[in-house]
Amino acid sequence: MRDAIELEWAGVPSLAIIHEAVRGSAESMARLSGFPDYGFILVDYPWIPTAVWTDDEVRTLARRVAPQVIERFVRG
Amino acid sequence: MLRAARHEYRDYSSLLEDYYERGWTDGLPVVPPTPESVELFLDRAGLEPDRVLGAVPTREVVVTAEHAAINAVMAGCRPEYFPTVVAAIRAHLHEMGNCHSTTGTLSGASQIVVVNGPVRGEIGVECRGACFGPGFRANATIGRALRLVIRNVCRAVPGVFDRASLSTPMRYAFCFGEDEEANDWLPLHVERGFSPQESTATVHSTMQVCEVMDYTSRTPEAICEGWLAEILRRGIFADRFVAQANILIVVSAEHQRYFNQAGWSKADLRNHLWQRCQASGENAKRIMLGGPEGFLVVGAGGPGHATTWLFFPHLAWAITQRIESANDERRT
Repeated sequence: MRDAIELEWAGVPSLAIIHEAVRGSAESMARLSGFPDYGFILVDYPWIPTAVWTDDEVRTLARRVAPQVIERFVRG
Repeated sequence: MLRAARHEYRDYSSLLEDYYERGWTDGLPVVPPTPESVELFLDRAGLEPDRVLGAVPTREVVVTAEHAAINAVMAGCRPEYFPTVVAAIRAHLHEMGNCHSTTGTLSGASQIVVVNGPVRGEIGVECRGACFGPGFRANATIGRALRLVIRNVCRAVPGVFDRASLSTPMRYAFCFGEDEEANDWLPLHVERGFSPQESTATVHSTMQVCEVMDYTSRTPEAICEGWLAEILRRGIFADRFVAQANILIVVSAEHQRYFNQAGWSKADLRNHLWQRCQASGENAKRIMLGGPEGFLVVGAGGPGHATTWLFFPHLAWAITQRIESANDERRT
């Protein structure tokens, strides 16, 4: 979350992809950084929070979130 | 001049309830910090209240001496412990101490404070029997003071920036001293460039703890094999930021005797472990210590139980910080 916000500060449109397991701290970070409503895409199980995923799991996840990412960037 | 907001309470019970309500404690009672007690602590360390001890930029946090003193009072420290608390905070907030990661991790990493030098005797940091456990005010409150700063100043609160899945009771407090007088080994701080007359606090963030109990081995090599089985099985990992890590190895008195009898220095021990790791083939790639100096060896504990504890790292370096006296601070 902080990485995305700092990139925004640097003028780079960004988006955070957050796992449900760390949603609370991501929301805290957004509030702390002055962007309480900063949008993010939520990833949940069966993808485990620590990103130790197989190549197939990564591809499946990417296919699932890509439309949301495009929509956020296009529609704001 | 102190900057903290003042709160007044009709009695201790109402103070405690309010502190719990505001989330200012680790769940245990605290000592109420008064302006007088906070100033006494600052004076003991020769620090102005606004002196910056460190920062956590990702959390918009700057830790001042006043923050540290308030939390050290709350933890139950005596004023003479405060310079050691300050050194521990500075060590933890070193950039490579990686506070944001080590206090926010799902793994619930904890911070171990190892005290070296004359200060151990001056303030009563226990180095021998039961030194990891309860019963010693300096050990308990110095470790707790660091953790209260991490919670109350650095925002590592469960559900906020403490994301631990299970966490660990070591997060209440974990501080002990090296038993420098037990053998001829060079103390940790001397190996890291300080003089024997200096006192230091070393902070190591640990993610996995492994006790290797071994009553049957009678040689250094055989004792090391028990440790290596765990080290090679688990691996020691670093990321691109820290590049290489440390593992803290606390050797109890019963194991120390075999190294001492065989004339092994800490350097001999480290070199042996490193060579064995390198000889392990594929597994060697998983030992991201950078070299033999990545093994931090400390002797501690009382006689009886033949054991060594391995404290595997989280993503940080173990940082050693000199404990400054009030006179030192006023000069700088």
